[in-house]
Amino acid sequence: MLNRLFAQVGQTALVLFFVSVASFVFLKLAPGDPVSLMLGSDYNKDSYDKLFTELGLDRPWAAQYASWLGDFVTGDWGRSFVSNEDIFRLAVMQALPVTLCLAAYALVLALLIGIPAGVLSALKRDTWMDLCATGVAVFGNAFPSFYLGIVLIWVFGVGLGWFPTLGFVAPWENLLEGLWYLTLPAITLAAWYIGLIARVTRASLLDVLGHSYILAARARGEGSARVVWVHAMRNVLMPLTTTIGLQLGGMLRGAVMTEVVFALPGLGMMITAATLNREYTVVQAGVMLSGLLFVIVNLVVDQLYTWLDPRLRRLA
Amino acid sequence: MSAPRSMQVPAVPATRSGALAEGWSAVWAQRSARWGMGIVLAYVLAALFAPWLATHDPVAQAVEAAMQAPSTAHWLGTDSFGQDIYSRLLYGARLALAIGFGSVLLGMVAGVALGLIAGLAGGRIEWAIMRVVDGLLAFPELILAMAFLAVLGPGVDNLVYALALSFVGPFARTVRSDVLQVRAQPYVEAARLMGVPMREIVLRHVLLNVAPGIVVQAGIRVSIAILLESGLSFLGVGVVPPTPDWGLMIAEGRAFITMAPWISGIPGLALAILLVALNLLADGLRDALDPRSGETR
Amino acid sequence: MDTLADTTLLSLDALSLARGRADVLDNVTFTLGRGQTVGLIGESGAGKSTIALAIIGLLRAPQVALRGSIRFDGVELTTLPESEYRRLRGNRIGLIFQDATAALNPCFTVGAHLAEPLSRHLGLQARERRQRSIELLESVGIGEAALRLDAFPHELSGGMQQRVMIAMALACDPQLLIADEPTSALDVTIQAQIMELILERVRARAASAIFVLHDLALAAQVCDRVVVLYAGQVVEEAPAAELFADPRHPYTRALRACSIELGERDALVPIPGAVPGLEDLPGGCRFAPRCERASARCAQTPPLVTDGTRRIACWHA
Repeated sequence: MLNRLFAQVGQTALVLFFVSVASFVFLKLAPGDPVSLMLGSDYNKDSYDKLFTELGLDRPWAAQYASWLGDFVTGDWGRSFVSNEDIFRLAVMQALPVTLCLAAYALVLALLIGIPAGVLSALKRDTWMDLCATGVAVFGNAFPSFYLGIVLIWVFGVGLGWFPTLGFVAPWENLLEGLWYLTLPAITLAAWYIGLIARVTRASLLDVLGHSYILAARARGEGSARVVWVHAMRNVLMPLTTTIGLQLGGMLRGAVMTEVVFALPGLGMMITAATLNREYTVVQAGVMLSGLLFVIVNLVVDQLYTWLDPRLRRLA
Repeated sequence: MSAPRSMQVPAVPATRSGALAEGWSAVWAQRSARWGMGIVLAYVLAALFAPWLATHDPVAQAVEAAMQAPSTAHWLGTDSFGQDIYSRLLYGARLALAIGFGSVLLGMVAGVALGLIAGLAGGRIEWAIMRVVDGLLAFPELILAMAFLAVLGPGVDNLVYALALSFVGPFARTVRSDVLQVRAQPYVEAARLMGVPMREIVLRHVLLNVAPGIVVQAGIRVSIAILLESGLSFLGVGVVPPTPDWGLMIAEGRAFITMAPWISGIPGLALAILLVALNLLADGLRDALDPRSGETR
Repeated sequence: MDTLADTTLLSLDALSLARGRADVLDNVTFTLGRGQTVGLIGESGAGKSTIALAIIGLLRAPQVALRGSIRFDGVELTTLPESEYRRLRGNRIGLIFQDATAALNPCFTVGAHLAEPLSRHLGLQARERRQRSIELLESVGIGEAALRLDAFPHELSGGMQQRVMIAMALACDPQLLIADEPTSALDVTIQAQIMELILERVRARAASAIFVLHDLALAAQVCDRVVVLYAGQVVEEAPAAELFADPRHPYTRALRACSIELGERDALVPIPGAVPGLEDLPGGCRFAPRCERASARCAQTPPLVTDGTRRIACWHA
């Protein structure tokens, strides 16, 4: 198991290297000249050359990459041209926790709704309940999250007034109020996942229930609830985890849209605003950070998968 | 036993047209896929005949006619600039489908080429290509497309390139693994031993065998592409106003959701229905052509 | 009747079972005395495993259409509420599956498997469960039992897995053990060991057993009585030795001729044709289309006639 972990960490390191190179190349390709941007419209040749050398832009790309990477690793990500804030603080300390909270809340919601829906759908196969659950799953899976967010704001925020429509309260400062503010965004983001989870749960459960170890468990006198929720679901967890891992891109995609719709100060909002402002250093920080997040979460999911499936656990 | 007169490439399990017909009927056999196909077809027709079906110029603004509810003059109402939503919806379908299919096609061509080269060449070339692909896959597709748009700036063609770029990775990876799998098949080995040139083997066996996987992938990606396209436009980094685009229309109507819900509601519904239909169709394609992949992909 | 109830542990009376349009069992009747072993013999699709599942209550209405009666230790099982049935399964009736690899949950350890019936039926606490599990594993010939408790099924060999299955089936000292082709998924060299083990365990506990087998010779060795099934019907039933020495039904004869134990290789005679599909069974004797002795009379269903110690359903016997 450790060997496998090491191999994966090695592979991840390689991917991270490429992520960093890609981010660096992106910064280099970005139009506009950082020096003139920093100096503003009013500069002369001398001050330009001075800053150009100061920033190390006369050195070869490889050297620039090395020093950039060094800065990046030590948390020196530069300052925003717009707000003059430290980008590391902006991205990692302020935006990232918001996105993580939103994603975690949405995932919990999606699991709490999606798994029972999938189980019900599988157990009552081909009844109206199954049809309803499948229908909701298909629509939830296809409905564009940014439009769903708008509808939810309209119905539950403006119409019924149950939830705040915009804004953010940090859950780590005030848990209840924070969750209350995050509920509509989390539902928006979860809608897509609920459908996915319900469908995978249904299909895997139907497959698992056909196995003879299920029959064997019943032959030992286990009740049907325990057979489904313990014996069968333990085996459904594996394909479910794989799917959730494979669809992380979808989660991030939804998170960006959701944050913008609900004006949540997360990573997606940061990247969108920076893209609109053409603030490349901030975009690049966001790109690098989301790449990092993506790779790390993939690694975690992979480990989780190994841990969930005993057949993989001791083969290494 | 007499030697065969000419060395023939051993036949693949199904002929080209036969496989197509078989795949088609397998898709058609599924009710939900038929629904999906019908709806997508309706959208395609609406997009094709938009100039004839439209009642107004999609970008003609008329302040005096702003935010009108659906009426006989404006079937689906007008937006805050007085633009006719029905006409914009039709032209928006044009844009969504063009960008969706165009970007997937572009990404597919590039990805399939990379995957084929990697799978067939092996060695360092394969290593280099696959590391680039890994790099591409390490980013969520939306982020990748946004970064690309940040550099290139907004616009329809840039949007297509950005989306295509984010699709190269998945296609390349699928094709490469398929190629490796097909290469290990005994009949490919047999063809090689008979002296059939590699190029012919690739065209006849490999490409034909990886085709279903590619089609399935493409089917899934089209709906993602359209979702991303409208999403990026919604965020303001994709298509620029006043181009008739559903994402832009939704974004524009957002502020007026209580007063004039149709402004964002109608394009939102149009988009949602198209995406559902595309998903149903893609699911049907998958079940028909690549049943092994199952639900977990 | 009281004395009968005392000596009889299980009796199937005119049991019929239909699944959709398929008549899987038709009028199956046999009894099993306490401490007795009975063998169910027949080709695949004869309904042997269905009988096993019907007895343990995993094939019940509304899933299937069940008629007739199953009495176990004086209790009618076909109408028993599910909650009470659950208390029988794995407790007073144990079931050994054909393929232990498939019948063990890949995500649960051996210990978790064994602990289940022990806590459910016997209410044992964790420490007692562990102690009892180790004893059980040792009793089925698994060494280093304490270590094996933490093993996952895939880490054991096929024979070991079957031993675990047996240990599980015996965990609560069942009065009736049903073994559904317990050795057919195993290597030939291990088959005899496993069979011997099951017999020894059954005898040690004075339990009754039903062996589902397809080998007549093996059945003659391990069972007191043998019931021969064809297409869901009992065609012959007799004490094992008697049946093997003198099979009367043409199908039983053909089965015996198929058995390799018989000796000379040229005596091996295949049965022509195949078992009929259960959805469109021939009227009259179901074996007639494949029977060399079939005559016009066989168009009518032959009754199961008792003749001394045996029962037989054939016009020509």
